Amino acid sequence: MPASDAIVALSTPPGRSGIGVIRLSGAQALELTRKLLRKEQFAPEPNRVTLQPIVDPDSGEIVDRALVTYFQAPHSFTGEDVVELSCHGSPVLLLHVMDALLLFGARPATPGEFTLRAHANGRLSLSQAEAVRDLIDARTHAAVRQAARQLGGELSARLQPLKDELLNIIVPLESALEFVEDDLPDLVFERIDAQLSRLLFELENMAATYRSGRLLKEGLNVAIVGRPNVGKSSIFNHLLDNDRAIVTSIPGTTRDSLSELINVSGVPFLLTDTAGVRTSDDPIEQIGIERTRRTIADADLVVIVLDGTQEFSREDRKILADLGEVRHLIVLNKMDLPEFKPANGAELNGSKVLSISAKTGDGFAEFRAAMLEPFVAGGFNEGGFLISNARHYDLLRRTTNALRSSKELVGLKRSEDLILVGLYEALRCLGEITGETTPEDVLSQIFATFCIGK
Amino acid sequence: MSFDERFDVIVIGAGHAGCEAASAAARMGAQTALVTLNLDLIGQMSCNPAVGGIAKGHIVREIDALGGIMGRVIDRTGIQFRLLNRSRGPAVQAPRAQADRSLYRTEMRHTLEATPNLHLRQGLVVDFIIKDGQIRGVELQDTRRLRAESVVVATGTFLNGLIHTGRRTYTAGRAGEPASIDLANSLKQQGFPVGRLKTGTPPRLDGRTIDWDQFEPQPADERPTPFSFQTQAIEQPQVTCFIGYTDERLHNVIRSNIHESPLYSGQIKSIGPRYCPSIEDKVVKFPDKNRHQLFLEPEGHNTTEVYLNGFSTSMPAELQQDLVRLIPGLEEARIIRPGYAIEYDFVDPRELTPFLQTQRVRGLFFAGQINGTTGYEEAACQGLIAGINAALFAQNKEGFRLRREESYIGVLIDDLITHGVDEPYRMFTSRAEHRLSLRHDTADTRLSPYGHDLGLLGDSEWEHFNERRLRLSNLRNLLESTKFSKSDSEYAPLRQQVGESLGESISLAQLSHRPNVTPSILYDCLPASTRNSFSLVDLETVLADLLYSGYIDAQRASLDRLYSHDALPIPTTLDFRSISGLSHEMAERLERVRPVTFGAARRIPGLTPAAASLLLVYLKLRRAA
Repeated sequence: MPASDAIVALSTPPGRSGIGVIRLSGAQALELTRKLLRKEQFAPEPNRVTLQPIVDPDSGEIVDRALVTYFQAPHSFTGEDVVELSCHGSPVLLLHVMDALLLFGARPATPGEFTLRAHANGRLSLSQAEAVRDLIDARTHAAVRQAARQLGGELSARLQPLKDELLNIIVPLESALEFVEDDLPDLVFERIDAQLSRLLFELENMAATYRSGRLLKEGLNVAIVGRPNVGKSSIFNHLLDNDRAIVTSIPGTTRDSLSELINVSGVPFLLTDTAGVRTSDDPIEQIGIERTRRTIADADLVVIVLDGTQEFSREDRKILADLGEVRHLIVLNKMDLPEFKPANGAELNGSKVLSISAKTGDGFAEFRAAMLEPFVAGGFNEGGFLISNARHYDLLRRTTNALRSSKELVGLKRSEDLILVGLYEALRCLGEITGETTPEDVLSQIFATFCIGK
Repeated sequence: MSFDERFDVIVIGAGHAGCEAASAAARMGAQTALVTLNLDLIGQMSCNPAVGGIAKGHIVREIDALGGIMGRVIDRTGIQFRLLNRSRGPAVQAPRAQADRSLYRTEMRHTLEATPNLHLRQGLVVDFIIKDGQIRGVELQDTRRLRAESVVVATGTFLNGLIHTGRRTYTAGRAGEPASIDLANSLKQQGFPVGRLKTGTPPRLDGRTIDWDQFEPQPADERPTPFSFQTQAIEQPQVTCFIGYTDERLHNVIRSNIHESPLYSGQIKSIGPRYCPSIEDKVVKFPDKNRHQLFLEPEGHNTTEVYLNGFSTSMPAELQQDLVRLIPGLEEARIIRPGYAIEYDFVDPRELTPFLQTQRVRGLFFAGQINGTTGYEEAACQGLIAGINAALFAQNKEGFRLRREESYIGVLIDDLITHGVDEPYRMFTSRAEHRLSLRHDTADTRLSPYGHDLGLLGDSEWEHFNERRLRLSNLRNLLESTKFSKSDSEYAPLRQQVGESLGESISLAQLSHRPNVTPSILYDCLPASTRNSFSLVDLETVLADLLYSGYIDAQRASLDRLYSHDALPIPTTLDFRSISGLSHEMAERLERVRPVTFGAARRIPGLTPAAASLLLVYLKLRRAA
């Protein structure tokens, strides 16, 4: 491989679209572009978009006119020379252009390779690189905001003063070992104890945001379950209608899929309308029921829909009994009808019950709040800075565990060499979050979970 | 080419590095010449008359465990032994001893003269004889030419040494000895990247002019801790050192005369050890401290000379006399030798392999201050490793290196060759990430098997080692198996002594984890029939193992997780420039060091974590392929 060989990838999703962006990165990016454009003198001004004809290397015909932008190293995403070609979004055309570039010597980018190069060239810290992926994958505005904050380096910036504080604790302990013959005065131990308490408070608060952070990033699976004709689909559609503007279909699901994403206070909910549950011998219906059972098993929350105008039936009772330990919520539909009777608590043994009307929309505000409530019991602050990455959370936990063990030794006034063990462990863990300490497998994992072209 | 004499190994310089190098090489069977400017100054302590201290004491014990000589010599000539950090964890305790400076020299010379295959030669080396990138020998000022397969350079501060006292400067290797100018030029001609460092030393006083009553006595330990695992007893009579302080009156005079100091007049530009500042530095850099501690250290039994530790200075000699007299208790004191600062050449140690061999010239080894270190102990351990490897090289055998996780010596050499130095390098326990496992009293278990394999530990020493190993293992079992139950007669008095409940039954090992349980309490608890086969020192070692075992396991797990790829080999043929995404600068850094493992690459100074991770990804993909 030559020095930082040029890599190329389609940076927009595959499939037909208005435009498709091909990104090239590497020292030869410009040279390859010249070959593609058949313009040896092509010397674009950096960061300026120009319209250029693209020539088929075989036939010599012009196949497209593309908007070409040149980003000169190191002022590009990857820190290398980058060229972006905005072509028309025909899959066939894009493949053709890509093939031409490969023919001229580019190499297809591996997943995450653009971001990996950006990290390698010091353009992004590890946590920023992770944020790129989160930003691309974000499914709600709140998640976008969080990823953008991390991309802006906020996590590193927030950890820096904590790392500095940790060093402030380590330094006097180390220098006592190396230079001070007498034991440290009690006052120093007390000060260090107080410093550790503050540090633990901050780090634990940060770690505690993970619940909210994970909700924002990963969302919740919600299954809507009930007998046929209790109004499941109307409820499903009503939840969807209000959010239509900011809802996207899940990629890969077919048109007749019953799963849709909705946004509840910034948290993505993957809502699944299930087949009506009833006892049946019909094999086709059996398949539907089996699928429902699986959906329920995967759900973070099950919404059981009952018809509020009817008596609590044997089938309803069975649905509830089958749930077992799964977290659930009961809604009584059709509160707009005169026959509607509010719940009788005895049958529903302690489950949360809400009255709604899919027809009028009454009770939906409370319904949404109730869906979110069990997950944000500890408070939910989508505006604050949140830990949303499992790796970061794990390292924060390790950090606080290590600090707590050191704090205990400080209380016992044990020798500094023992106290320091936990402090160094904590420092290593914090360093790992931002990627300053040492790489490990996680790095290759991080970059391997990228889609190509990022 | 004609030579006057032929050897296998030549060592240049008979300081602490040179003595270890020559002794080791000779005892490994290599015909070894030790060339020094002055045979009467072999093993000279040019700064303070003391060996050991925290981290440094660890190194001396490692030298001893490998079969070096420093520990034995100081044990025979030490006049005040103290175990430092006694109240702290055993891992950060270390022995230190004041030496009788003159006795130390004599003893060192005797030791070398009693070594077969070792030949002392007086002379000034002016040039290297190099052919086809391989060292062939050295040339002396008196035109003698000495042939050897390998050469160890251990020239200390002599390379282009320049002494400063006030505005006066003169070339010298140490006060009263000539510098090596030609040799320094010869190194530059070979293309070695040479830099300048600085160090300094305080004035020596006439002990008869000191008002001793104004100082606080610091006696020797009642039970001295020897450096050598072979030493049975410290026989030198022990003396007391004294502690005193400077005061503001003196600080003000220093401040108003600061322009007289070559450190502050701009005359000295090179960097000195931050950890051993001159008195000028202390006063200027710590203006809030209204006093600085000083130690009055006797230079020996048969001299009145006293070393004023903590008062290193390069002020003009006549001003030093005035300054010293401003110290309470030294109003009448007279200076015998003034302090001075010295600048000298060092070679960027990133030039070296882990065997301390230069990459530029085969068979050429560097040890001590030439590599940018400070301290006798740091020098001596490099001398030992260089001497061992010079002998192995002359014998066409594979080199010997120590790892970071098994020794301070490994940490020191690894730091030097990967990070280089920008100030004189001194060892600290914090430099060792495996500090808890590198205790001074475990140096033998860690390193003596190597010493034996290399032929540096004789039969009786090896037997001694194996006896101790067996004793420790027996003692460990005894601590587990010796239990006291409520019904035992020993139980009640023990419970009273410990002051807390001991439960139905308690083993000595369990007892050792209780607060207030000292090693001597436990020692008395050992069954009377076996007690005399163990020393209190043996017990302390076993107890320290027990204390740390949990921490060491946890720490190892954590480091393993972090450094799990350190052992991943880097092919010697790898072209770092071919790694995708690796910047040119990073590739060059790797190319310069040519690390052989991922762990070594990771620690290269200036290598970004991102570059390290790219290298890791590359190595792993390559492995998978």
